[in-house]
Amino acid sequence: MSVAARPAARRLTSSVGVLSSTTSTTTATTTAIISSQIPLCRRSFSSTPPASGRRKPRFRNITARDLGLISPTSQKRDTVVTGEQIDDFTAKKFPKYTDAEKAELRRMYTPEQIAALEAGEASINPKDLTIQGRLRTDVYRLPYIDDFAEHQPIIDKRPPASRGRRISPPDPNARFMNTDEFVGDLIEWADKFRVGEPTGTLKRLEDFVPKEWRKVREGQWPGEVRDQAHKDFKKYLQEEINKAAKYQENGGVVPGGPTDADVLSYILERSSMTDKNIQTQSSLALALPDKVPGVAGLYTAAVDAADEGLDETGVYQDLKRRTGMKVQEILKLQSKTLLENRVSNQTRMGKIASYLVFTVVGNGDGWVGLGSAKSQEPSLAWQKARLDAIAKMKPIRRYENRTIYGNVEAKVSGTVVKLFARPPGFGLRVQHRIFEICRAAGIYDLSARVPRSRNPMNTVKATVEALHNQKDPEEIAMGRGRKLVDARKVYYGGATQ
Amino acid sequence: MGIHSICNALSHLQNASRAKLGLTSIPNTKYNLRFALALHRNGFISSVTRAGLTPPPPEALLTFETEPVTTANVSTRRLWLGLKYFNNKPVMSKLEAVSTPKRYVTAEYRQLAKISRGFQAGHVKGLNLGETLFLSTDKGVLEIREALEKRVGGMVLARVS
Repeated sequence: MSVAARPAARRLTSSVGVLSSTTSTTTATTTAIISSQIPLCRRSFSSTPPASGRRKPRFRNITARDLGLISPTSQKRDTVVTGEQIDDFTAKKFPKYTDAEKAELRRMYTPEQIAALEAGEASINPKDLTIQGRLRTDVYRLPYIDDFAEHQPIIDKRPPASRGRRISPPDPNARFMNTDEFVGDLIEWADKFRVGEPTGTLKRLEDFVPKEWRKVREGQWPGEVRDQAHKDFKKYLQEEINKAAKYQENGGVVPGGPTDADVLSYILERSSMTDKNIQTQSSLALALPDKVPGVAGLYTAAVDAADEGLDETGVYQDLKRRTGMKVQEILKLQSKTLLENRVSNQTRMGKIASYLVFTVVGNGDGWVGLGSAKSQEPSLAWQKARLDAIAKMKPIRRYENRTIYGNVEAKVSGTVVKLFARPPGFGLRVQHRIFEICRAAGIYDLSARVPRSRNPMNTVKATVEALHNQKDPEEIAMGRGRKLVDARKVYYGGATQ
Repeated sequence: MGIHSICNALSHLQNASRAKLGLTSIPNTKYNLRFALALHRNGFISSVTRAGLTPPPPEALLTFETEPVTTANVSTRRLWLGLKYFNNKPVMSKLEAVSTPKRYVTAEYRQLAKISRGFQAGHVKGLNLGETLFLSTDKGVLEIREALEKRVGGMVLARVS
């Protein structure tokens, strides 16, 4: 198998260090030639000795995974997938047809279909299915499952015009209409809704005489022709007057005339260029049809009745879905902006400034989250940071619902935050940013030290990390198989407050 | 009797637990054996087995028949310790030497009482949640609470959590 053809496979195999053995023979020979020309003992740029030079333990150990003490997926180091694991997974997940299954297939399908099935089986390597063919679970996956076999106009890009679609290429000679062209275009549109005579013209007396007398003046018409023409003309005028009277009665609405929707469609959709109103691949979106195929009837308004009108703009809809909280609950959370920085990105266009905001959100009862966001608009950054913090809210462990369990420490970069549990009534004797975090989390007795760097951003990060990383006494007790007793509770007969 | 073997064992056990090892070995000395048994009493390790240079079969750790130590095999004996894990995290994650071969730190009974309540005494800081202190006393290697029960003080070997 040539790995060079499959980038994903190459990445996998190179990460386990077997690339050289799996590359094609030509590559192997070229590397051999190159390596013979370059001296093998090159100066290393790292002080770390090569793997072969590192000291091996003299006494072989047995890993916890081999003993079954920990689950294989828990170790971060195990993100490197070995070839064996890939083969195992392939064999388990994509097995070949058994004889029984083949017999069953032969019963259901014709020999031609069976041949096609077998050809299909033979053409796809199950290892490729393992390495490449899987549903994505990462954050950046598409929000729908699709093999891109069909074109879906709602979510896919418009296909090129060359496939004989209705959309034709734009007219290269099109220009904006001048006044006359515009008037002509308007009349052409209005004539679609014509009720009576063509717009702007009433019939004259001459229209009611036979053709041969039209070019002659009225005085030369014969008597009976003139009488008949006057009679018809009078009747016609009376009809027109009646029509106008009916129009007034209807409140100015001409029956069969353009509706409001027609006027809106004229304003929004009719091209103002001399391209005969042909739709083109412009940057403007196509107007949606009355009923969008595929979603007709499925679309409901974003406003949820359960919100009681508290979220008209739909800001919290995503959070509702992700956290399972109601909008009423989200609005009750207390938040505080801990720091704002003006940061800039240096590009060839110059410095592009934006605001970086860190916000803490908590329910004052053991849940706290730290969110950060950047935006060129400060108000947008505040909002985004708050939403981020709400999404990241997690419960913290609180001793007697007022302080932390023991002393905890967390380090972010050069900043070390040490938090110390304190007795009831001690208060929050901590710096202001840690104070706000504690208040959001519902901690009332605490002291803290930040002995090293006091970088505000790292301080708040480390504080939240420390609060989330408290030890669990139950877990310690179960891990050691020993009983752990809170002496304070024992002394006061188990009272917690 | 020096404590260098204890200090080496502490470093090795901390490295082993961070490397997520299940079974590892330390040199077979009397001091190491007492310390390993103290760890075992307090639930930090699952088994202590004396065996040769290769690990004993893991499935037979508890029923393993240890060879008697003789002058012929004493140089190849090692103590094989089974490490414990709970919720995919090592039960014993931090081992810190308090006394070092260069500086012995001792604590008497009254100091130990303070330390166990979380207050500093002498050069030894108070215990935090889940921390234990191992001492070398007249009555063997003891955990701080065992020493308090026996009302003895001694040399502070290690802080384990």
